[in-house]
Amino acid sequence: MVPAQDNCKLTISGVVMDESGAVLPGASVQLNNTNRGTATTALGKFAIEKLCKGRYTILVQYLGYQPFEKTIALENSADFSINLQPSEQVLQEVIVADHATTATRSNSTASLNSRQLAEVNGKSLGETLQNLSGLNSIQSGPAIFKPVIHGVHSQRILILNNGIRQEGQQWGAEHAPEIDPFVAHNITVVKDAGAIKYGTDALGGVIVVTPAELPTDQKMGGEIHLVGNSNGRAGTVSGLLEGGIKNAKGWGWRLQGTSRRSGDANTPEYVLSNTGFREMNYSASVGHHSENSGFEIFYSRFNTTIGILKGSVNESTADLATAMNREVPANTSDFTYAIREPRQEVTHNLIKVNSHFNCDKNIYRLQYGLQINNRKEFDVRRGASLTALPALAYTLYTHTFDAERETTISDLHTRCIGWNGMVQDNNKLDGTQTLPFIPNFRNYSTGVFWIEKFSHRKADYDFGLRYDYRHYQVAGFNFQNKLYKTEFGFGNVTASAGAAIKLSETTSFITNAGSAWRPPNVAELYSLGTHQSAAAIEYGLLLDEVTSQVNKIENSNVAPEHALKWVNTLKYQKGKWQLEATAYVNYIFNYIYLKPRGITETGRGPFVYFRYTQTDASFTGIDASSQYELSKKFSVRVGTSLLRARDVTQKDFLIFIPPNRGDVSLRYESLKNEKTFFAQMRLKCVAQQNRAPRIVTTAEILAAKDQGIDLFIQDSRNFDFLAAPEAYALLSVTTGLSLPLHNTKLDFRLSAENITNTRYREYTNRMRYFANEIGRNVSVAINLSF
Amino acid sequence: MLHIKLFSMKSQLKVFLGVALLSGVALLSGCDKDPEPENIPEEITKVVLTFTPAGGAPVVVEANDPDLDGPQDIVVGSIALAANTNYTLSIQMFNGFYAPTDSEYNVTEEVEEEGAEHQLFFSWSEGAFSNPSGIGNIGATGTVNYTDSDENGLPIGLSTNWTTGTATTGKLFRVMLKHQPDIKSASSTSADGESDLDITFPLSIN
Repeated sequence: MVPAQDNCKLTISGVVMDESGAVLPGASVQLNNTNRGTATTALGKFAIEKLCKGRYTILVQYLGYQPFEKTIALENSADFSINLQPSEQVLQEVIVADHATTATRSNSTASLNSRQLAEVNGKSLGETLQNLSGLNSIQSGPAIFKPVIHGVHSQRILILNNGIRQEGQQWGAEHAPEIDPFVAHNITVVKDAGAIKYGTDALGGVIVVTPAELPTDQKMGGEIHLVGNSNGRAGTVSGLLEGGIKNAKGWGWRLQGTSRRSGDANTPEYVLSNTGFREMNYSASVGHHSENSGFEIFYSRFNTTIGILKGSVNESTADLATAMNREVPANTSDFTYAIREPRQEVTHNLIKVNSHFNCDKNIYRLQYGLQINNRKEFDVRRGASLTALPALAYTLYTHTFDAERETTISDLHTRCIGWNGMVQDNNKLDGTQTLPFIPNFRNYSTGVFWIEKFSHRKADYDFGLRYDYRHYQVAGFNFQNKLYKTEFGFGNVTASAGAAIKLSETTSFITNAGSAWRPPNVAELYSLGTHQSAAAIEYGLLLDEVTSQVNKIENSNVAPEHALKWVNTLKYQKGKWQLEATAYVNYIFNYIYLKPRGITETGRGPFVYFRYTQTDASFTGIDASSQYELSKKFSVRVGTSLLRARDVTQKDFLIFIPPNRGDVSLRYESLKNEKTFFAQMRLKCVAQQNRAPRIVTTAEILAAKDQGIDLFIQDSRNFDFLAAPEAYALLSVTTGLSLPLHNTKLDFRLSAENITNTRYREYTNRMRYFANEIGRNVSVAINLSF
Repeated sequence: MLHIKLFSMKSQLKVFLGVALLSGVALLSGCDKDPEPENIPEEITKVVLTFTPAGGAPVVVEANDPDLDGPQDIVVGSIALAANTNYTLSIQMFNGFYAPTDSEYNVTEEVEEEGAEHQLFFSWSEGAFSNPSGIGNIGATGTVNYTDSDENGLPIGLSTNWTTGTATTGKLFRVMLKHQPDIKSASSTSADGESDLDITFPLSIN
């Protein structure tokens, strides 16, 4: 190659992303036949300047991903958009691994790739997801997080764990998803309603947890993660080992396990007694891939014991009033790892078999999953022998069957049709010596779907339609401990339509409108009595308040929830700027929520109670974020999430709606000799929730009741017992260093959250009535990949 | 090659049909029996206070809460006592989830047997009683005339003595049963342990 000096002004530039489109900072970019090279910036960009005309081979490398190599004849400056595939991804495997089918380009999504997941140091799924714009969590103390997408949560969010609809006992706001965060290679959140392929319930969106593909080569590799946290004196050990099988081409296997342990967390001033947890999870998989087919068996087990803040358990309303007004919660004692009552013990087993095979222009996929979920809740009860028994104990069996055919009609047009079936069986474990809180039930669900995707000019379109039917058989006990039995069913249609339009080289627009529905959950219909680990008395929709009998559903006005959600996203990227803004409206008919209802007087004193109630609700909001590269090493990011939720029927506010928030972060990142170092500072500001229901204190309710007045017959608007907590700001810092050592990579990370040890309460934490949030936490992590 | 055959479309379908069949069989063989009702030993649905004057007819007052934590409020009777009279109060507790012939029905006996873990506390509107005077021992340090005791010689409170004051109306009488396993001592109070009962009765002295 004889460079002509005049022409050596060309540039090769581009952006490097993972398979989900998330940028990969710090990826190595080399021009193979020169000594030129660079690393991508925080926005995943690279530029190699002053190149002469000629042939170059670009090699892009990033650990955990397959290298990308391309030879080009450079005549003019060139710009590339490079998507790296996870290493070992040889085929378009199982339903979930096939990203194009889970989240299409016309979905509004947010993702965390393996690198971003590593930076959160093994937090629980719900806590990790809080970092994405538009996502929050409903908390029950420091260790229990339920994800919230655009203000809606629990039964309205579908979680796909390794391609299977996660079916745990998610009916309680203090029941966290039973998923080991270390299983995830990446997590994608689809914020649209109507996950056409996976059935009912996705009124708020879908969380897709995807493990890495199984390896197909013989080389053995693995990862070790060690994490320590100062708050709670917590430790995590997680390991992974994977490889191929000698003389058996196409076979791959993986073993993975995680153990986490935490003692009582602490606020800036006091210990949160009985908030520790223990977790022990493992998974194993083996599979075979060939050019035209694949087969995989996966088993995972999740096991946790979590304590519930002791000071949140109250003897009566008088005690509740006292508990809410005291600075330090009752029964606060010294730090301990011991977990006493009240506590939850949860085990979740998943066995999955799936396969796919290609035939002409079709890909066929089959999947069967069995989930066995066991939940026990222990409570302080009369006498040691009763305390040793769970106050609530259920086992839920879920069988899921999925079959689909995806047809490539042309380069620009695909069609997917399929069927899903589910059988669920929920049984109480005999011998709790309490009235069962929810009934035994069995449900049979079936659904069919049809999805069309095509591209036309500069836009991608997709349309989807599905129909589901669910039949319930219920057998439970009422307040007289008498058996009731009933059967009923619900059927409805889910539909969605979306488009992703490239408006210009810098700007794209995504719009998606969806209609989704879900049948009421058994707990929403039949909850009965004290849900102790939630420290609340809860009544289902079908409980008659006058007779305290369980009504028949056909004699009630209970209806399924039905949502219409429209999400619009604008993406802009030019030079050093990157901007993304999402605006959405979600109108939910017959929205079911747990409404504080009043006080019931019992032989043990007066108790506050909550009742499931239906109303029409609207959720309107904006998520916006912008990133700017100050220099090659510094970048700044600003984000905000604004949400307005209304109880439309009652012209009122809803309770437990995440307040508006914003964050700003500054990041430094450098790469030298394949060593990367980063440091990031983040300030998060959360406003007070001004759109909260009125306040009625327990003292006011009791005083009125003494005079024979029911405050809520006169005025049925929503209320809360305490005012929403004040606004707060938290500062956190994370630094990390990655060192390549031969064929291994060593990562160190040090982070500090709530550095200023700020005292605050979070509106969406159910423990906010009783205690402050946790104080400063310093965390150290070491990862070794080999 | 072997593995190609193993994972041909046909054999995969066979595996799936097999799995589906097996799980179908497992489902069908799952028993469709009705769930068994739970024994509910720790609940009190009915409390009876019997004030017996020396030589006179006893005054019997009930509190009933058949649905426990259900939405219906407890129904509490009113206590009407004669002025300046000595009464012995005996308290009985019942669990209406059992038949009256069942040994679990009478909770009083269980409380008595486990006397070392239980204590009844009382409070009342000032002036209702001349003996004991004061306002009682719930959230206060007044005396109560206990006439029974547990194996450690500490009071239980299933039987107590009272002398009414002069005629008065609109007073309240509160009864609290505390479960205090490993807690009950000469110095334990109504603030310790868990409440098994906490009922406030209207009281008038005629």
